[in-house]
Amino acid sequence: MSVTSAEQTAQSHKLMVFVLSMSLYGLATLVSELIPSVQVGIVEFSVEFFLFIPLTLAMLFDPLSVALGAATGELVFSEIMLGQFGGIGEVEKFLTVSIAVYLAGTVVHDPRNLKLVGVAAFGATALQLAMSAGVDILKVVFAVEEFEAVPGLPESVFFTEGFAAVNDLLFSGILFCLLPTLFLVPRLYGKIEPLLGMKPRTPENAPRPVVGRLAAASVALFVVAAGAACLSEAGMSIVEWEADWAGDMQAIFVGLLVAVVIALVACYCLFRSAKLSRA
Amino acid sequence: MLEKLSENVMDKVSIDYVRNQVLKNAYGNDDTPIAALDPRVLIVWYLFFGIAPWFMGSVPMLLAMFLFTAVTTRLARVAPLVLVIFAVGVFAQTGYMFVAALVFGGNADTLTPLLVLTLKVASCSLASITVFSGLDPDRLSSGLLWFGFPERLSFSISFAYRILPIMMEELQNILLSFRLRGRAPAHDTLLGKLRWLVYQVKTIVQSFYPLMLNMAKRSRTTVEALELKGYRYASANPDVLKIRLSSLAVGSNDAVFIAASAAYALFCLALPALLEVL
Amino acid sequence: MPIISIHDLTFTYPGAEKPTLRNVDLEVAEGDFLAVMGANGCGKSTLCKAINGLIPQFIAGDLSGSLVVDGLDAPTVSIGELARHVGYVYQDFENQLVRPTVLDEASFACLNYAQPDYVERGMRALELCGLSERARDYVWSLSGGQKHLLALAGALALEPKVIILDEPVAQLDPLHAHQTYEVLRDLNERFGKTVIVIEHHTDFIAEFCRHAVLMNGGAVSWVMPARDALRQLDDLRASDIYPPQIAQAAQELKDTGILDAAVPLPTTVDEGVGAFAGIPFHAAGAPGVSASSSDEPAVAFKQVCVAYRSVKGDPVTVFDQLDLTIHAGEKVALVGSNGAGKTTLMKLMCGLVKPTSGTVALAGASTRELAPEELSDRVSLVYQNPEQMFIKDTVRADIEFAMRARGVDGRRDRAQALIDRFRLHDLADRDGRLMSGGQMRRASLAIGIALDPPILLLDEPTANLDIATRREIVRTVADLRGITDTVIIATHDMQLVCQFADRVIVLDHGRVIGDGTPDEVFQDRRVVEASGIRPPEIFRMAHALDPGAVCYDIEDFLMCFDGYRALALAAAEDAPAGDGEQEPGCLDERRLAFHA
Repeated sequence: MSVTSAEQTAQSHKLMVFVLSMSLYGLATLVSELIPSVQVGIVEFSVEFFLFIPLTLAMLFDPLSVALGAATGELVFSEIMLGQFGGIGEVEKFLTVSIAVYLAGTVVHDPRNLKLVGVAAFGATALQLAMSAGVDILKVVFAVEEFEAVPGLPESVFFTEGFAAVNDLLFSGILFCLLPTLFLVPRLYGKIEPLLGMKPRTPENAPRPVVGRLAAASVALFVVAAGAACLSEAGMSIVEWEADWAGDMQAIFVGLLVAVVIALVACYCLFRSAKLSRA
Repeated sequence: MLEKLSENVMDKVSIDYVRNQVLKNAYGNDDTPIAALDPRVLIVWYLFFGIAPWFMGSVPMLLAMFLFTAVTTRLARVAPLVLVIFAVGVFAQTGYMFVAALVFGGNADTLTPLLVLTLKVASCSLASITVFSGLDPDRLSSGLLWFGFPERLSFSISFAYRILPIMMEELQNILLSFRLRGRAPAHDTLLGKLRWLVYQVKTIVQSFYPLMLNMAKRSRTTVEALELKGYRYASANPDVLKIRLSSLAVGSNDAVFIAASAAYALFCLALPALLEVL
Repeated sequence: MPIISIHDLTFTYPGAEKPTLRNVDLEVAEGDFLAVMGANGCGKSTLCKAINGLIPQFIAGDLSGSLVVDGLDAPTVSIGELARHVGYVYQDFENQLVRPTVLDEASFACLNYAQPDYVERGMRALELCGLSERARDYVWSLSGGQKHLLALAGALALEPKVIILDEPVAQLDPLHAHQTYEVLRDLNERFGKTVIVIEHHTDFIAEFCRHAVLMNGGAVSWVMPARDALRQLDDLRASDIYPPQIAQAAQELKDTGILDAAVPLPTTVDEGVGAFAGIPFHAAGAPGVSASSSDEPAVAFKQVCVAYRSVKGDPVTVFDQLDLTIHAGEKVALVGSNGAGKTTLMKLMCGLVKPTSGTVALAGASTRELAPEELSDRVSLVYQNPEQMFIKDTVRADIEFAMRARGVDGRRDRAQALIDRFRLHDLADRDGRLMSGGQMRRASLAIGIALDPPILLLDEPTANLDIATRREIVRTVADLRGITDTVIIATHDMQLVCQFADRVIVLDHGRVIGDGTPDEVFQDRRVVEASGIRPPEIFRMAHALDPGAVCYDIEDFLMCFDGYRALALAAAEDAPAGDGEQEPGCLDERRLAFHA
């Protein structure tokens, strides 16, 4: 009985952390969605303003639950609630945020070690930005078939994306991730855990990730994210770069697409109802 | 003058207003024709209307699509704030280029692609607003559940709508504490404005410290209550899913909606040809 | 046959040095209405969570002994199985509601346990709680009392035989608290449910409960019929429970030989009428509270209209053409049921709500024209929920925060002085949220008066507190009479009103229906009935004996007895000699509070 009870307690803690992370980060993204993005000259602050919230929570609690909770919160509060759902492209953000938060949380064995906290927070931001920049570059590469053939295109894409990432990192990484996390973690440590009926994290009870599997999973997820992002871009780019399509062609193409979607949905419905009736 | 205006706008866009708008968007439109439709029908509908515009290139076709999604958005009675965000979003993505080109005397060659792009972005966004804002949260989550999305997501959606008013109020009170007891720097000069901005950002960041602790206190009771209400059993029991989804039914309204949408979509596709004939 | 039988139950939280429950033995008969009493931290909630299986299955710890609920072995049977036998309503019930709409919430548990008729079951539970009309509404649009009933309906939907409620009235105003208890009585009497409440409001225990159990230090002290239990004055006081005022007064009369020692102590007004019959009782003039107000208006409302945007339909009007003046130096109590507009009135005064039309002027200056920081120099609001007052990580930092922002000189000394004054020395460097209810309340008052505002607004300063802490806060608030000039309190706590206010404003649906001294207001039957306020028990007792009597505390009441008055006068003449007769403790302390 003691084993099942300990397991159950762990489950309940995970659910609590999930709920907490989801609602807090969800609210934060909802608020940031309402603040229009600031553009100063060519420097755009496309900042995940509130990344410090899941980062802080991940360093104090179970990182996986926090990461999933944060990603779900963003999806539910700012995408679905405000109807700003961007389709399949959202998958990219969902995954990059989860990976970054999860890694930051597992790296910090002892939240009292502020140096480690700082490095992890900054590193996670850098990782998230690098992943988004990578996805952006891949998008262009994927969209333009003669990517290498267009003179100057590769250089300019790498430059602008790289510049944006570095700019974001210096600005948002420090102002919105590093400093707030350094402010919050030591203040919350030892205070927030008892409220949820948990023990504060120490080096002894810190979560231990399986490094190899973790890395593999991260890479796989990143590929999925990149794929999803490219897919979402596909429609836009195909039409843009192949503008000499005839009207008939287009109509046929759309007709095909419709047919495909309907067929897929119909198949799925059949599968689903079969599964339900079997259940 | 400008100062006065911006202050006025700031006053309007108070967190109270935002809270009201979000609630209105979430709960205030559950008696619209859109909300009465079967969620599965709407999700499939979104799969088409949210994707198809990307594959269209002719302006009349896209214009027709845009008009259609605008009508459905109107039918869903979406809160004004959501429309403002939508407008800002479209403008930020492509609209500003279009306007700039217009101002600097762009010709048809430069304008058309930009107009096409803007219309695409706008129709897809409106389709998503119709479905996600127009449906009430519970029906939306049932619909997603039916399509096999994880139960955790469906619970999160319902729970988010439950917890949002509570959290908004909590955040509002904390921010008020800061506003009343703190003292924002004067913002007459440019330096003052910068300092004021920094102060505001700092306040928001700091207000998450009390918010996190307060929410932690709450979520413990919530999770215990969920356990007592058998939430964990339900996620492992396929019967529950079956019972829950049995409330979904496709009715004649849905059939009419599908038929109308399909007919309109065909009309859109045929539009360039029709215009040619005329 | 008992529905719950607990034998030798001991429970220790992980990491705790001492067990929270020590060898608890308790049997609860089916169909009982049981009150569980005890001081904070005596293990009441832990016991109840053991009964519904959360302990030890969900909240880990070491458990020994046996606990059988409706024939099931609670510590081992699954929580879900047990939930069909025991329903639970939390003290912070708001967090227990997890679904967006009312019917959805009520039927959620039934759905989770795969009962196909879950909607009907939810509806039935709503009917039992009188909420069927609101089945389609959203949870957030309910009032606090309705939310509590909804939490109860959610627990009832599984048709448990036992229902446990943790402090059901703590967060409700008296009117709604009564409604909840009426529902519970109905469930108990008509449907045979066993009801267990954690409760320390003795007036509710006397009126509704059949039995009461007293817990002390994790063990059960005794179980008795409710009325008998309330007569154990010493045991109750030792556990920080404030015994019924009528019983206290009767005990004092017995001690002084005025009441026959053989008469059982009365615990309710009805019993009191019988027990005090035949003893000469004459109304004495009420001790008028000295008013120290001036003619200078501190706050002036002129034709104020307020309307809120609503989510659906037309805006909701809270005030329409309200005119009201509060003079400098007044101590005002705002009373009225929930939704009468008390909180909105306070928000108007500190500029958080701007009137739709009309003006609210603070010492002549309209709130429209003052910046928020300027307003906070003139008026300070202490929220109902003290947790929202804490924005820094220590109480000291919170007290200093406003002074630091304004660059006040000597803020450290002033903060220290406030910390001393509100007895926060040991707590000053802790986070406010992690303290007990009474400590939080004291700290929030210290934060509220840090800037020494000329006007202080307190929203429900005694809500959610157990009786002992409540008395402490009443005393602290009474202390403010000397420090802050104009104080306005919104409250349901008539004890506080009597001890503090020299002017009572009664609001009902946004209109002022009563305005005067406490005597005037409490004696105006029309106002009392329309607003649903309940004067203190002792006031009603005196009123029942002599309709002209105005008594706000036990001493006033005692002094109306001719025999007691004579004794007291004699004792006052040879002061030191007469002390042996007097019961120490409670009465003296209260007298101090009153005269402070």
